[in-house]
Amino acid sequence: MNGAGPAGEASPRYRIVVAEDAYLVREGIRQVLAQEDEVEVVEFCSDLSSLLQAVDRHDPDVVVTDIRMPPSNTDEGIRAAAALRESRPEMGVVVISQYVSPHYAIKLFEDGSARRAYLLKEHVGHRNHLMGAIREVASGGSVVDPAVVEVLVESRTRARNSPLAHLTPREREVLAGVAEGKSNAAIAKSLFLTKRAVEKNINSIFAKLDLADDTDVSRRVVASLMFLAETGAPYQGVTSQR
Amino acid sequence: MTPRAPVPEDSSIVLDEPAALDEPAAVDAVPWTLSARELRADREVERQLRPVRLAAGRPTATELTIAVAAVAAAAVSAAVVLRGGIAASPAGLAFVLALYVLVCVVAGLAWRRARPWSPYGLALVAYGLVASLYSLGATTQPLVHSLGVLLEIPGSFFVLWLVLSFPSARLDGAGRAALGLAGAVLLVGCLPAIFLLDSLSPTQPLARCGAACPSNPLQVVDNASLARTFGHVDAVGHAVVYGLILTLLAVRFARASRPRRRLLGPVYLFSALLFVATGVYQVAVNLLGASPDATGPAGFGLTAATILFPFGFIAAIVFAYAYVGAALASMVREIGVSSSVTGVEHVVRQVLDDPKAQLAFWLPRSRRYVDRHGRGVVLDEEATSTWRSVERSDGEPMLAIVHDPALDEDPELMEAVGAETMLALENRRLQQDLLDSIAALRASRKRLVAVAAAERRKIERDLHDSAQQMLIAIRIQLELVRGEVGPASRLERQLNRIGTDLDRALDELRSVAHGIYPPLLAEEGLAAALTEAARRTPIPVVLELEEVGRLPEEIETAVYYCCLEALQNAAKHGGPDVAVTMRLWWEPHLLRFSVSDDGVGFVPGENREPTGLTNMLDRLGAIGGRISIRSAPRRGTDVDGAVTVSP
Repeated sequence: MNGAGPAGEASPRYRIVVAEDAYLVREGIRQVLAQEDEVEVVEFCSDLSSLLQAVDRHDPDVVVTDIRMPPSNTDEGIRAAAALRESRPEMGVVVISQYVSPHYAIKLFEDGSARRAYLLKEHVGHRNHLMGAIREVASGGSVVDPAVVEVLVESRTRARNSPLAHLTPREREVLAGVAEGKSNAAIAKSLFLTKRAVEKNINSIFAKLDLADDTDVSRRVVASLMFLAETGAPYQGVTSQR
Repeated sequence: MTPRAPVPEDSSIVLDEPAALDEPAAVDAVPWTLSARELRADREVERQLRPVRLAAGRPTATELTIAVAAVAAAAVSAAVVLRGGIAASPAGLAFVLALYVLVCVVAGLAWRRARPWSPYGLALVAYGLVASLYSLGATTQPLVHSLGVLLEIPGSFFVLWLVLSFPSARLDGAGRAALGLAGAVLLVGCLPAIFLLDSLSPTQPLARCGAACPSNPLQVVDNASLARTFGHVDAVGHAVVYGLILTLLAVRFARASRPRRRLLGPVYLFSALLFVATGVYQVAVNLLGASPDATGPAGFGLTAATILFPFGFIAAIVFAYAYVGAALASMVREIGVSSSVTGVEHVVRQVLDDPKAQLAFWLPRSRRYVDRHGRGVVLDEEATSTWRSVERSDGEPMLAIVHDPALDEDPELMEAVGAETMLALENRRLQQDLLDSIAALRASRKRLVAVAAAERRKIERDLHDSAQQMLIAIRIQLELVRGEVGPASRLERQLNRIGTDLDRALDELRSVAHGIYPPLLAEEGLAAALTEAARRTPIPVVLELEEVGRLPEEIETAVYYCCLEALQNAAKHGGPDVAVTMRLWWEPHLLRFSVSDDGVGFVPGENREPTGLTNMLDRLGAIGGRISIRSAPRRGTDVDGAVTVSP
């Protein structure tokens, strides 16, 4: 808002709107982002409607929003992300949450995982976490907090009648490899397949899981999440960071 | 497809013997038992009881006296007839007269016992005793003989009165007219003949003088042809009078209500027989010259009809008692089936055979009667024969039965039906009270559960919005500070330790808040919340959750906590290798859920009678749901629930 900074200083790469209703947490985020030259926080808001107004006013690159805010204190952050997917498909959204429930992360990615990140609030203080997520969503990628993935990995819950039920045994094996964070080449090697066959299988999986429109990276994240949510298979890392 | 359990019949913990638990369905089955105190009181009452006088009880002193007098009168009259020796058939007459006397007295005693207030009983007894004097007509002393014969005149009038005033012992206009006409016939036919005849012969065929009757001391003029003429007038007059009376009885019977016909029937039938037989005999003997003897058809008919006549009164009483018995039996049967007020009234109408009968209910507060629609009913204090009030044992009126006046003549019936009606309605009221208090209890339990759920949600929100946010803010600050200190310093190590502790505190807080109330349940409903609960459980869980959509909060909460409880029980007590299948599905108007494990199981009622199970029953009971918990050692535990959801 103040225009250009002192001469010689590079203008920030990311203009950001932050929405968080808890004062102390908001101040924490302010301090964390103040350390970063790359970002400029153009406005702090504390509820859903002021967030959407601020977005209209500033057209930021990335929105960092609390999941639970007034007016209803439920899942405003996820609803904001869904609304912005419609109105500003190029905008990145980082949802910060106190919930470790995979349900919310999966819900955030329901309409597509590109430019979306789900972070636990207590990890926001760690510079690399928040900045990493901001960079990732700004460049079209996805991030899921490792703690959420851990819940899925440790859980031994399986669901019958899931979309995964439509996968062939071979496709499940391939998807398990994806969820383990393996590259296509590594999967091909472990399953004694050609790299071409693995790619074919992966495309078929994405089609069956209705993930045809996203970027490859975010598709791999979501497919892995779904796989984990419904099989509880062991897994090392879902966050895809380039 | 996994096999799905049937809907539980009622809430229970089952092994081999089902144990019904605190559900209204089980209330019906509770046997009526008396406490020790009630039993003592009961025995005290029993000691004070006096023998109940039944209609068929032992005879009283008065009844015995009357009976002895009747036997004596019958014996004397038989002896007089046999000694007199002028009757056409002394032995036959002696037998018939003695029988007639006894039957009349027995009929009188029966009436007196059944209807002590009715003059009928005594009238019949008196008639029977007086009838023994007919024996005088069989003696030879002229004056005594004539008096014995002339006794037939008041006797026949008495019979007419008995029939015409039946059963109220009051003559109506038509009855008085009939009696007047009979009197006129007496004046213009019978009386003149008495003063003209040289001898008087009894009417009864068996009593006719065998050889010659003693001379008539009342003869004024000896004119046989004139006497015959008056005799003809008398015969024709009798026929006319009896014809009119028969018509009158027929009209009365046709107009009578059904309850009254039950009473009139036997008496009218036997009276009609007597009148027809008398008329036929008079006409046949006096006008057509038929044989006056008891061996002829006319004479035989009259004799038979005369003997049968008093049996009509006995039959009326016997039928009345039989009807009460049958009515009570059918009432007990019918009222068991339909216990609504309308149903009870219908049954009362049926058993009284009175389609217009009506129940009037006493309202103690406004001190008036109302019908089953709540409309006021005014009972005419003057016309007490049209209604009967039924009182409780404490003397407080409870209801009245408005009925046909004829039923006033049927006191046993009215009393029995009244008592049975009161019993049925009282039972119904008690049952209603019981249902009402169960409903009130259930409503209050539901409210309590709802309040508890609201309170839990509030606590969960407070934890998430204040304590957790503060810890998170501190965690962020800590991270910022850590970035300021040099790496690998002692301070950094300490800060790392604090960070780890903070993370643990946050985890703990998150888990406590979730345990208090899962936000997902309120925000996303049952399927999401149960999925989350399963993920937090360390044991393997297979989920088969239909997306059941959003349901009333109390149902979602109750079902959620039931499933959670079952899940936690399985994890805690199911053994090391336990696995659980959790299902949620729809049946028409019914939300069903089940949590089945393959763990070590337990014996219901033994060692760990888990409070968790009681909690489940309480929660489901509060929303009117049902749950069954089945388990056996080494065969796992199955929890099956069903909640009715109105569309």
